Amino acid sequence: MSVVSAGPRRAGLLFVTPFMVLFLLLFLTPLGYAAYLSLFQHKLIGGTTFVGLDNYAKAVTDPQFLRGVLRVATFFVIQVPLMLVLALLFALALDSGLMRLARVVRLGIFVPYAVPSVVAALMWGYLYGPDYGPFAQLGRLLHVPVPRFLSETWMLGSLSNVVSWEFVGYNMIILYAALRSVSPELYEAAAVDGAGAWRIAWSIKLPALRPALVLTLLFSVIGSFQLFNEPKLLQPLAPDVIDSGFTANLYAYSLAFTGQQVNYAATVSFLLGLVIVAVSYGFLFASNRRRAV
Amino acid sequence: MSQFSLSRRSFLAAAGAVSLGTALAACGGDGGGSTSAQAVGQSDVDKAMATPTELTFWTWVPDIDQEVALFRKKYPAIKVNVVNAGQGTPQYTKLRTALQAGTGAPDLVQIEYQYIPTFTITDSLLDLQPYGASALKSRFVDWTWGQVTGAGGEIWAMPQDTGPMGLLYRQDIFDQHGIAVPKTWDEFADAAHKLHAADPNVYLTNMAANQAAAWHGLLWQAGAKPYVSSGKSDIAISVSDNIGKKLAAYWGGLAKDGVIGTEPDFTDAWYGALNNGKYATWITAAWGPVFLSGSAKATAGKWRAAPLPQWDSGSQHSGNWGGSTTAVIKTSKNPIAAATFAQFLNTDPETTKLFATKQFLFPSSKALLTDPSFAGDKPDFYGGQPVNQVFAGIGDTIDPSFQWPPFLDQVVTDWTETVGKSLADKTDSVAALDQWQSRITAFAKNQGFTVGGR
Amino acid sequence: MTVTIPAATAAPVAGPPAPVRRRRPRRSTPLTIAMFAALAYFLLPLFWLLVSSTKNTQDLFTTFGLWFSHSPQLLANIEAAVTYDGGVFVRWLLNTLLYAVVSAVGAALLAAAAGYGFAKFRFRGSTAWFNLVIGAVMVPTTALAIPTYLLFAQVGLVNTAWAVILPSLVNPFGLFLMRVYAQDAVPDQVIEAARIDGAGELRIFAGIALRMLAPGLVTVVLFTLVATWNNYFLPLIMLNDPKLYPVTVGLASWAAQAQNGGAGASSEMLPLVVTGSLLSIVPLVIAFLLLQRYWQSGLAAGSVKQ
Repeated sequence: MSVVSAGPRRAGLLFVTPFMVLFLLLFLTPLGYAAYLSLFQHKLIGGTTFVGLDNYAKAVTDPQFLRGVLRVATFFVIQVPLMLVLALLFALALDSGLMRLARVVRLGIFVPYAVPSVVAALMWGYLYGPDYGPFAQLGRLLHVPVPRFLSETWMLGSLSNVVSWEFVGYNMIILYAALRSVSPELYEAAAVDGAGAWRIAWSIKLPALRPALVLTLLFSVIGSFQLFNEPKLLQPLAPDVIDSGFTANLYAYSLAFTGQQVNYAATVSFLLGLVIVAVSYGFLFASNRRRAV
Repeated sequence: MSQFSLSRRSFLAAAGAVSLGTALAACGGDGGGSTSAQAVGQSDVDKAMATPTELTFWTWVPDIDQEVALFRKKYPAIKVNVVNAGQGTPQYTKLRTALQAGTGAPDLVQIEYQYIPTFTITDSLLDLQPYGASALKSRFVDWTWGQVTGAGGEIWAMPQDTGPMGLLYRQDIFDQHGIAVPKTWDEFADAAHKLHAADPNVYLTNMAANQAAAWHGLLWQAGAKPYVSSGKSDIAISVSDNIGKKLAAYWGGLAKDGVIGTEPDFTDAWYGALNNGKYATWITAAWGPVFLSGSAKATAGKWRAAPLPQWDSGSQHSGNWGGSTTAVIKTSKNPIAAATFAQFLNTDPETTKLFATKQFLFPSSKALLTDPSFAGDKPDFYGGQPVNQVFAGIGDTIDPSFQWPPFLDQVVTDWTETVGKSLADKTDSVAALDQWQSRITAFAKNQGFTVGGR
Repeated sequence: MTVTIPAATAAPVAGPPAPVRRRRPRRSTPLTIAMFAALAYFLLPLFWLLVSSTKNTQDLFTTFGLWFSHSPQLLANIEAAVTYDGGVFVRWLLNTLLYAVVSAVGAALLAAAAGYGFAKFRFRGSTAWFNLVIGAVMVPTTALAIPTYLLFAQVGLVNTAWAVILPSLVNPFGLFLMRVYAQDAVPDQVIEAARIDGAGELRIFAGIALRMLAPGLVTVVLFTLVATWNNYFLPLIMLNDPKLYPVTVGLASWAAQAQNGGAGASSEMLPLVVTGSLLSIVPLVIAFLLLQRYWQSGLAAGSVKQ
């Protein structure tokens, strides 16, 4: 599949080097530095001491960290299927050719992706408002009970909504683009065989989408387990619900910036990275196996 | 020629520093001192202030260029770069990171009173004693001096503005329901029940579940000494002593009864609540009146100011919430110019007056508090009541010995997640107080402090 | 790996070729209505933003959020936002534009070269390197901020535009996409033919391959553009001087003036924050509209294959 002759080997390195050098300097060096830091402990009184893997031993039994990981796992289980199913349905609907003004709809659903999460949280935070938020006001007007979006019961759902709002369009576009590249002859063939729209979607489109779905799923694993921006930005509105360890990443941030425990924060980040790697490879493994069957 | 002229004031200041510096030198250096508090001679000051120098000053006071210009008029050789590196916590985060990196820190910073120990524990602030700061003590409101001086007599910063706590209340709502301005917290609790029973849409006040600063101000008022350090490595923590418990039982009780609000403050919803008359009072500080008049225009003319209700009707006490200082960062390469700037900015009659009248900062300067042009101001928003005078009076009732912990960020986070959460969730606030105590204690021990108290 | 086709449908089909590329089914009204309902949900917050941008501070707090007040003042708000503090908002927008464009173009070119290198050449450790890049994405960057800051401080990069641009130049997703894209879009025969003609490797890349990679390139440009445009955390830590802020950090600093309380706080900043937010997303939306033809085809390649 590749051009492998003796001469251009060096050329390959040449093309890869600029990227890899920057990657090394800007990604791996801080990463390595953080790994180094995670082996130390710093105290306000007493300074820095080498503690080996003590931080890691502490983190794996740290209830706040474990709770944070559990919460993002829950978030992943709730939010990601919802988001991907919606994205899939929208992509199929747009691709079906059955609707009017598809272009407008496609762009409209995608636009939230271009909105910074700082702005998204500002907007949804206002819309969620228990007293003066428009939903609450409408509910009062119509005497319909409106959930308290920012309460403990609803927070995970409310966050799921913000994240889905931001990323359904993005995932939809990836899936839609994959659908467009399915060869039209396949559809013709199926239609001739008498397959209806649903049958075509199920038998041709879904299998064709599998690689794209795995890709979006992997991004979602990373996004969910690293969940940070949205809870951080909604925190001022619900300080009693979103605590400093609400998500694992938020916990790492709080350790570094509030507790001044940079070393332990680095440890927590690495462990979280490990969880993400494990989950991601779990999914890859599962999807490859299923295909092999 | 004006370059070399020297004001009488700074001369006197320097003279004062000389005498104090020698006194300290006689005492000998104690634990903290690699740099001895050797007073800087006048000739050094003159030379430094005439040498072209650039200072960087991090502050979030808007339009502070006016005040800086006055300094430059007097010391044309010193250029001051004003940088707004964020308000409060974001600025401290950046400062801390820059200090860790050993590069990028400014010469001067705006720093709130409660954060001074958080930066002296890392040895990041310059002691201003050798630069004549001691002589300025009498110019500032008494309690502020207690806030800026360290255990060894160091002067860590110059007070810029203050926030003595008081009560803003809706006269119209009080009148409508026949409620008198509460003089004690007991009366306040009765009024809270009465008002909410009369109108279920109105609450007497909001005790924000995210506002640890207000809680500390109320602790201060109640006479608590939650954090006491005698040296650098020890701290006595007693946030859940009897005074703390009294406070927690009181506010937790009102929250549980549902007669006060507990929503986070300074959010859209909270602004809306003030504009729409959901809350009949705001427990706030001296910067509150101007802030409110800009943020709740819909209620102009309906508000009045009063001192805080008291725990003991026989005496008057208050606490402080907010207000800032100017501190010099120890790594500054131009300590003389920076220290002189910090002192000028907060003592010069013109700059302090500008702070009070243009930026509406509540003064730390004694002279200004009695100045008729300031104290006599009668804003229409408060029905012509001289609110500045009310708060100026409150300033005298603040205990100067209140101390802050050297890891305030953690204390604040822990408060929000224990006491604040109990208020919002209407659970047991006294039990939450114990959690707060044990969380801070654990953190302090973990950080190597010798922890006592409780 | 390629898409596998179910055997039943892969049988050769007899009959006349279809007259149009895709058979156009009858439009479905229920589906259209359902999709417009979904569209309404996605546009609702933006509608709120637009409506709120027309309000003054008082109306923000006292009028119904999803409809205009009696005295709309969008232009006045825009004017206030762009003139506040000597026009600092315009500066933030220009900073963002600079950071985003330089990062996006740089990241796309770096990713294109590296993706081409990984796709078309075999060299020692190429697979390991590639996997390392992809694996690095999985460690969260929030807690790396302080180590990165400390390292940047050592070389004097803190509080400069480079502190924002340099980290954005490395886009692992971009590399992934370009590698997949290059595999297909640049046929081996074309490269081989060029070599036989005596063209150097660099010339083959710059003169031939890059043009074939264009849709993928545009995709990476756009996605890096969005990532940099929306970047908040990194510039917040790296930059002290408001003159260097991108618009996200600037807006957050305005919001903080209303939300932190204390002396100097002012709710008057809220209309500016809201209007500024609206202004800040307009350029991105336009960029996406104008370039959508390209990025869709670029994404298609990246998502069909792995």
